[in-house]
Amino acid sequence: MCDHCLKHGTAGKWYLNAKNYSIEVMDEFNQDEDSLKEFLMEQYKTFEAMQVRKIAGFSAEGLGYKIQTPIIGRIVKHFAERMLHSTKPKFNPKQAEGHIGQVVPLDDAIAILENCVDENTIIMKYCMCRYQSRGEKEACCINFGVMSDIIDKLPRFIPEPEDSKYRLTKEEAIEKFTEFNKKGYIGTIWYGAFPYINNLCACKTPECAGIRPRLDFGIKSIFKAEYVAQNNPDNCQGCKRCLTMCQFGAISFNEKTKRTEIDQSVCYGCGICLHVCRYDAIEIVPRQVIPALVGKY
Amino acid sequence: MGKIKISIDYSICGDGNKIDPRSCAICMKVCEPALFLLHQSLEHYEKDNQYDPQIWRITPLYPSLCTLCMKCVEQCPENAITIKN
Repeated sequence: MCDHCLKHGTAGKWYLNAKNYSIEVMDEFNQDEDSLKEFLMEQYKTFEAMQVRKIAGFSAEGLGYKIQTPIIGRIVKHFAERMLHSTKPKFNPKQAEGHIGQVVPLDDAIAILENCVDENTIIMKYCMCRYQSRGEKEACCINFGVMSDIIDKLPRFIPEPEDSKYRLTKEEAIEKFTEFNKKGYIGTIWYGAFPYINNLCACKTPECAGIRPRLDFGIKSIFKAEYVAQNNPDNCQGCKRCLTMCQFGAISFNEKTKRTEIDQSVCYGCGICLHVCRYDAIEIVPRQVIPALVGKY
Repeated sequence: MGKIKISIDYSICGDGNKIDPRSCAICMKVCEPALFLLHQSLEHYEKDNQYDPQIWRITPLYPSLCTLCMKCVEQCPENAITIKN
């Protein structure tokens, strides 16, 4: 259990705490529904431009080279992480303050949709990340809460009728999410400005703007899941199906034993590899049962 | 190895000129590391604080990830992309 869960979960994971999905959680920030709506509206109006906008003289443009620069790189990394992990009240919708997320496996995502989310506010919208980095529209982001009220003012995120319905029932949302997960998209849950959770995404690397900073530049923009994949070499037949599914490069094939191996220090615990294994050789286990991985999120 | 510099000629592509990057976006689709970013033109937004949602451009956001495969240069219909190494 990490510090974050101790503070924001009820004796459990932060994303399974239903309080974080209700608008009342904004009370301690002296913000109400209207101010949150206004904040999100302003943010989503120019969402794609967020990464090129300069914050204190720095934008994410050419981030790779900035991170490589000796001293400046560490300063940039520090400030980027401080911004993303910020738990202070938000006033500037032009930066991604307090936008931190975590990888969730399928079972946890279903638990979120079943127990925490208000059924009448579930919507499906086009993925912003895929649009801003590939120019293609794919409806795979599930949002809830205040987003369902402002989505009508953001026509470019509303899926075309042939792609998807955009107001979903609980069952439809679970069905859609399961479909994406089986396709190989990583489930992630996000604060839509801390402390309010409003986003359950089905992400794909390298397009995902939330996973990329961590994978490519080492900025902790997303936590690894509470779980980690573990394989059972007795059941493994060496079919290599799981190899093609892992988006993090955690699975490798051992030519000597003719089995796949999972590097648990690299594994994000998304559970995608489980869907393709036909021999019951992979399972996901809680991160804390493996001593070397306790607290490594 | 020096820094890779990718530049897009905005007098041809984006900023409300000849090509609308939202309808073309060929370079973004062929790029394996997906290093381009499609976004609203900030120049038009911040100059007179008047946001025009119809003016977009493409920025090569993470040139450090470029593998120099040159697919974007070859496939750009207007030859608007140049890469310097």
